[in-house]
Amino acid sequence: MSTSLPVLIVIPAWNEAANLAAVVTELRASRPHDEIAIVDDGSLDATSEEARRLGCVLLRLPLHLGYGVAVQTGIKYALRAGHRIVVTFDGDGQHDPAEVEALVAAVREGADVAVGSRFLSAESYRGGPSRRTGRWVFSQLAGALTGIRLTDPTSGLKALGPRAQSLFASSRFPDRFPDADALVLARRARLAIVERPACMRRSQNRHSMHGGYRAVAYTFNMLLSLLVAASGRESDLRG
Amino acid sequence: MPIRQKVFFLTIALLLLVAIIELIRRRRLRVEYSWLWIASGVTIIVLILRYELLIQITAAVGAVVPTSTIFFFCILYLALLSLNYSVRLTELTRQVKELAQEVALLRAEAAPSRPAARAAADSPPAC
Repeated sequence: MSTSLPVLIVIPAWNEAANLAAVVTELRASRPHDEIAIVDDGSLDATSEEARRLGCVLLRLPLHLGYGVAVQTGIKYALRAGHRIVVTFDGDGQHDPAEVEALVAAVREGADVAVGSRFLSAESYRGGPSRRTGRWVFSQLAGALTGIRLTDPTSGLKALGPRAQSLFASSRFPDRFPDADALVLARRARLAIVERPACMRRSQNRHSMHGGYRAVAYTFNMLLSLLVAASGRESDLRG
Repeated sequence: MPIRQKVFFLTIALLLLVAIIELIRRRRLRVEYSWLWIASGVTIIVLILRYELLIQITAAVGAVVPTSTIFFFCILYLALLSLNYSVRLTELTRQVKELAQEVALLRAEAAPSRPAARAAADSPPAC
């Protein structure tokens, strides 16, 4: 493992110029040997300049295509560059760099996907009642569809090994909102998924993905996406 | 069908066909998408010239008046057409996504910010 490239931390960022410096500085302090790639998802602010100034790998999408596409761009970069482990990390200060090590270790020990879970952690910000309910429903559904027990299927903090990277870089990846559906897909491709406790904070400057009227559309889309991920021929997933 | 109606609808159908062919000729409409439109125009002309065909179809599907047959098939046709557009949009969305990602990856290759970062890391850290 020591000869391979460092862990790549992928931070999808859409208009996060104000938060990036703090997030990157904190990450570097706790993980000096990892490489950081910032995916600028068509930001209108100085996100790209900020990423360059901080000396991160900059992947700049010419259009705003959403969180899932941004994450997938980072994964594609990792595959081409040859990083064996990718960590997806939010750019809004929600995730704690101290939690990354447990996930990376899990992947080194053979897991394909390691998910940071708020619910295995003693004290963590877990969102309001509606989000908790939604997460519970999706977690139950994902469990019913695949037989895996996940406490926090919508967590954005994940570590991915090479097999998971290949799967998530493929066209089967649900790039609209990769949450529980991505994990269902991974499970059906026979990847090993583990959860580790991760403390999460309430983010300061956040354009929520799931707020307001979008919550209804999100719920509907996620239900559909879960069914899509759970269907289709399994033979297409292996390779 | 009264001759006045025939002339009127034939004129409209012919104008539609001319417009389609002109669009193809000016490269405003791709050939592979245009056969459907030409087929629609030709169908209208055939139904005008051979009205008894429409009456036969009406009897075959069990409708009462030819007008409802026309409206039913028009709506069905438009619904299938929009479904077809949705499929094409999905494909286009995927293609745009792949292209955008490729642009991002190529940009990173062409102007890597990494060596500069490594150099900066060797000197006392700025942050």
